[in-house]
Amino acid sequence: MNPALEEAARLYDAAAAELDLATRHCEVSAKHFRNGEVPRGAAHAWAALGHIREAEERLDSQARTHAGRSTVD
Amino acid sequence: MSAGAYLLELGLVPYHEAWDLQRSLAGAVSQGAIPDTVIFLEHPPVVTLGRRTDEGELHVPEGAEVDVVETDRGGKSTFHGPGQLVCYPILDLRRHGKDVKKYVRGLEEALIRTLAPLGLEGVRFDGLTGVWLHAPPRKIASIGVHISRWVTTHGYALNVALDPAPFTDWITACGLEDAAFTTIARELGRPVTVDDVRPLARDAIGEVFELELDPLPAEDGAGLWVQPIHRQLASR
Repeated sequence: MNPALEEAARLYDAAAAELDLATRHCEVSAKHFRNGEVPRGAAHAWAALGHIREAEERLDSQARTHAGRSTVD
Repeated sequence: MSAGAYLLELGLVPYHEAWDLQRSLAGAVSQGAIPDTVIFLEHPPVVTLGRRTDEGELHVPEGAEVDVVETDRGGKSTFHGPGQLVCYPILDLRRHGKDVKKYVRGLEEALIRTLAPLGLEGVRFDGLTGVWLHAPPRKIASIGVHISRWVTTHGYALNVALDPAPFTDWITACGLEDAAFTTIARELGRPVTVDDVRPLARDAIGEVFELELDPLPAEDGAGLWVQPIHRQLASR
């Protein structure tokens, strides 16, 4: 496989893994809020936020790479 | 100058959930999505193994109702259970001096300051991380930390009111043969709860690490804290 494409694929895999973790924390957060456990619900919500930021960073990285290679006439 | 930090008082939380939460919150702290965050909680009975645990340390009797979890923290084996105040500071050490030894000494100092208002004099022993009472030496609090990208996870466990037998009967806690373990209630000879000690622990850790700890209101319908993400969203 083209190394540049493999690198891009790895970045998207990493982003997907982070988003999976964010999903899990959101689900746990929802459960705790339903049980009236506000600090525990909030803690998992912020945990999800951290993973979303990690995913975003990887997607941004790929976008920067793409922008660096693209040409606009 | 004190910095604003989140304070989470989570009650009784299974070890795996708390560990997962710490790692994810560490990511959020590292990304600047949330400020430094301090978690106080208790665990259901669990034996945790650190990166330096020796095989012979573990001798949990068959049928004992306890989970055993291999962790990524430093140190050896320890026991957690209800009646023990566990503190997990998720701090970005880039704001606290980038010095791991200083951080661990800070945790010890916070424990010593937590015990002082109760009339207990906590001490350190060279080469033995944690806080002890003297004499004879008896361990009252254990410390084990993990640091990744200068963000801390794990922390300390202070024995408030629990049966310390598992520290010696189930494991050779901290890898220390013949060490004695004690609790605040045992030392004071009266009932003391985690709820009694937590405010002292909160003040102490805030003082030592210069954090202005802001507890999240636990009442239904209370507003959440203003977060860095709010400012970031407003600027988009």
